[in-house]
Amino acid sequence: MASPRIAAENVIREFLGRIKKDPASPLDAPLYADGVGLDSLETAELSALLEDEFGSDPFSSADELPQTLAEVLDHYGAAVEAEAV
Amino acid sequence: MSEQNDPRVVVVTGGSRGLGAGIVREFLDDGSRVATCSRSATPAVEEWASEAPDRFLFVPADLADADDAKRFVDAVIERWGRIDVLVNNAGVARDGILGMMSDEDLDTVIDLNLKGTLYVTRLVSRRMLARRSGAIVNISSIVGISGYRGLTVYSATKAALDGLTRALARELGSRGITVNSIAPGYLRTEMSHGLDEDQLQQIVRRTPAGRLGEPADIARVVQFLVDPRNSYLTGQVIVVDGGLTS
Repeated sequence: MASPRIAAENVIREFLGRIKKDPASPLDAPLYADGVGLDSLETAELSALLEDEFGSDPFSSADELPQTLAEVLDHYGAAVEAEAV
Repeated sequence: MSEQNDPRVVVVTGGSRGLGAGIVREFLDDGSRVATCSRSATPAVEEWASEAPDRFLFVPADLADADDAKRFVDAVIERWGRIDVLVNNAGVARDGILGMMSDEDLDTVIDLNLKGTLYVTRLVSRRMLARRSGAIVNISSIVGISGYRGLTVYSATKAALDGLTRALARELGSRGITVNSIAPGYLRTEMSHGLDEDQLQQIVRRTPAGRLGEPADIARVVQFLVDPRNSYLTGQVIVVDGGLTS
């Protein structure tokens, strides 16, 4: 079974393909503008989708909003480490 | 059974009495799964819980409290996994001339009618966004359009709901989610009890339909607005008042 981080990455890349963004965007690409190019509604949609799939998402529950795909995925990586402690 | 064939999941806020109860009844009758909330249970709620235990959920909640709103929505998701329809019906009226109204009464009306609606809609719209489908109906009032002496704060919150409807319809339209308002006229329910008999008779005389409204009059329009076949209808305020404001 895939780790939450890998599962989240799969969900995000599938989502990007569905909204006509580049599903192969590098992990360090900024989420907005010249990076992945998400607008505010697409960001809300991604946030809701991740919460629906995994029970939490970094846009709603983190102290600082993620700025890159890697920072989104860190939310799920960190959750795994916390569970292991 | 596939999810597509499952009964739809409907959330009706403030469904334990009055208009909300009429809306709950209509959805239960059409086979939907219905969740509702209010601060406390009523005999109607207990009847539905025993009549349709698999299709009815009641959660005691004060939606003016954001934590309670979240607890309610979380309970629906835990039970049925999704929400297809949201009817924002919960509301409270405090009558009186604005110049004499206490801070407490002002807060009570705004906190439930406006902030409570926003709390629930924020949570439910996220679930609908994730699935790219859904229908939201806000129960406003003709007093939000025409005003009514002694109901200034209530009227302001109802007008705000119509603004919410228009803005949210624009926000979510591209994601297959419709948002509409129904502005009922004067109904024969608890909310009309702030009006005395003379006032009610005067309203009846001025109403082309010649009577006060019944909850079922409104519930049928709710059903129409949330019918997936009517997905081209969004961002509108439907006045259902027997012709009073025509």
